[in-house]
Amino acid sequence: MGDYVSALEVAPDGGVCIAGLGDGQVVGFDLSTGEEGFTIAAAHAGSVLGVSISPDGRYFATCGQDEVAKVWSAEGALVRELRGGGSAWVEHVAWAPAGGRIATAAGKKLCVWMPDGERIVETEPLASTVTALAWRSDGSGLAATCYGGVHILPFVAGAKMRHLAWKGSLISLAWSPDAKVIACGNQDSSVHFWRLKSGQDSQMSGYRFKPKALAWDSESKLLATSGDADVTVWDFRGKGPEGTQPLQLEGHKSLCTRLAFSPRRAVLASGSQDRSVLLWEPRKHGKPIGFAVLEDEVTGLCWHPEHHTLVGADASGTICSWEVA
Amino acid sequence: MKKIPVTVLTGFLGSGKTTLLNRNLSENHGKRIAVIENEFGEIGIDQALVINADEEVFEMNNGCICCTVRGDLIRILGNLMKRKDKFDHILVETTGMADPGPVAQTFFVDDDLRELFSLDGIVTLVDAKHVHLHLDDSSECKEQIAFADVLVLNKTDLVSGHELEQLERRVTSMNSMAKVLRAQNASVPIAALLDIGGFDLDRAMAAKPTFLEPEYPFEWAGTFEIEKGVYELVLEDGPDPTMDLVASFLDSDEHAGSRGDADHAARIWSEVARSALPGERIEIGAAEPVRLKLDSAGAKRFELRAPRRGRIGLYTQHLPSEFQLQVLDSGVAVRPSSEQTFAAGHSHDDQVTSVGIHLEGEIDGDRLSQWVSQLLRDKGTDIFRMKGILNIKGSRSRFVFQGVHMLFDGREDRPWGIEPRASDLVFIGRKLDRDELTRGFERCLA
Repeated sequence: MGDYVSALEVAPDGGVCIAGLGDGQVVGFDLSTGEEGFTIAAAHAGSVLGVSISPDGRYFATCGQDEVAKVWSAEGALVRELRGGGSAWVEHVAWAPAGGRIATAAGKKLCVWMPDGERIVETEPLASTVTALAWRSDGSGLAATCYGGVHILPFVAGAKMRHLAWKGSLISLAWSPDAKVIACGNQDSSVHFWRLKSGQDSQMSGYRFKPKALAWDSESKLLATSGDADVTVWDFRGKGPEGTQPLQLEGHKSLCTRLAFSPRRAVLASGSQDRSVLLWEPRKHGKPIGFAVLEDEVTGLCWHPEHHTLVGADASGTICSWEVA
Repeated sequence: MKKIPVTVLTGFLGSGKTTLLNRNLSENHGKRIAVIENEFGEIGIDQALVINADEEVFEMNNGCICCTVRGDLIRILGNLMKRKDKFDHILVETTGMADPGPVAQTFFVDDDLRELFSLDGIVTLVDAKHVHLHLDDSSECKEQIAFADVLVLNKTDLVSGHELEQLERRVTSMNSMAKVLRAQNASVPIAALLDIGGFDLDRAMAAKPTFLEPEYPFEWAGTFEIEKGVYELVLEDGPDPTMDLVASFLDSDEHAGSRGDADHAARIWSEVARSALPGERIEIGAAEPVRLKLDSAGAKRFELRAPRRGRIGLYTQHLPSEFQLQVLDSGVAVRPSSEQTFAAGHSHDDQVTSVGIHLEGEIDGDRLSQWVSQLLRDKGTDIFRMKGILNIKGSRSRFVFQGVHMLFDGREDRPWGIEPRASDLVFIGRKLDRDELTRGFERCLA
């Protein structure tokens, strides 16, 4: 593609893969054929910062450095713009897995929209700029991180907004598929997580760098975290991970940048600054079971929902799909 | 990959940051510059990308060191690097009241920024006309001056030459490492902003800090060769109603500004001054200073009597140029064979200072690192910046280092070669104890 792939997503039905680029382009591919379906030349002024596909695969939303989020048809036709007001970049967009809502974050504000463009939530400014968004797997809650903790907006009648306080700058976020645990990477090179039912929280430190990539396996038992060349995997079975040694997956030569668990099996894909993509079965061994090399720092990794295909992207615009056994 | 240099622009509201940006960025400088701006909507320039940011300062732990960083810069600069139109230079403008510490620390503490960007320097604009309104009681104002690699004294057209000199001396006494530029209408060459190398270890101490002489109660010293007899001292109208003066014979072949003679004059200065009205006599070599009464209008003439031939020093409380002071011999002006100005010790009492220490002899590396880590633990918040070149025992090469608060960066540099081996260390900070620092450093001698 010739430019930094800043956002990459595969549709929940596995039909298309959509990439947002550093020059403002958005490109759609047909995953079954690998053909380029459409190119939107200037979807955003400046860089595209986020892409999120609707659960039914019929639409997708993008955001970028131009103060606006946009909704497109799966064929790449503009459906509508979501303008939140204010002059901040829209840095995050997330389409709820159910319920049809779309969340955007621009500066310190969160907005939630209906697909017809109606804005149903606009929060007061949070403590600092929102650094990550994640929906609960059933779409009934939205989590956002910033300095000072995690804010959770409920979308069920009568529930109140919840704040998981932490005196630190949270920079990444992953909500477990079973909805029980929220894990965050912290600017001060640690991982923090909360068990939502009890409110109990734990801090895992010892990382060399800030953990920007986090991924849960489909059973919500393994949490893979970046923060060094090695991938650190925490096991939530039994009493863990507190007081246990994490699994260390050694293989990359420099900082791990992307992590993605297959939706079907406990197979983990990891990408690194050193251009390599490695496949692991963390429960079985600490050695990679497959590898591939891109042309630059890995900036995107996504699985096909049926596990058979992995898509990777890098900082110089290479997008590659691999068949996985 | 070459790191992208970042210049930080600080200065109080009204000091001319926006004018400076507008001026420089509108020029045809041939660079791709992104400006991260914190005061709203003031610039909109085609030649540069302008991004508005809210300053988000937060504390973070970096190992055992706690420091404050700018979260907004981490995010914005990280995202900028994803664009196709890569930048040659980044300018970060802070708000008027900002402490430059967090901005600087951000570039040393954050993984991503450290890898992609290098802090080129901190430029502080000073409103020459109004800075005195803030300089005494605003810690931000002092910090902005103390952190600077380049100090631009702006609006020089609104103050007198003397006021400007006073200001320059004052800011230099606070920050001896900064390069001082004078400007009207924020007009400084863009090169002064874009290749500063303030944090570049290769250029650490490339320009020797301008340390002032020890502070004396006088601002000026002139050396004169005179014969026995009576001269005339003439002063025109000036800004002050009185001026103290010491006229003494110099001990040696030295000039009046030399350390020994200036110290001698300072001792005389501490005696009670004798008043003199125009027309009265001033005795060269008197044991006390003379206070010239200058409230009458027009030229004021004093008799300056030399009991013998010799080399004398005249030490004046204010600059002679303020009064067009002249020494006349039968109506003909006698020029000083040398003259020197001094920082005016009586004019201010700044908590923010620079301390420079020069040591001959080799430094023990272990003792040094113990001392520095102890010092930073105890005083890190008060030490804004430090730089040094060290003569470490057992090493053929110079050791260069620089630090911001508690963050510290050092390494071996080129071999000493024929350069005389010695250590130079400069601290800029608040409430620095020169003697204690000197003693501490001396204890590191091998």
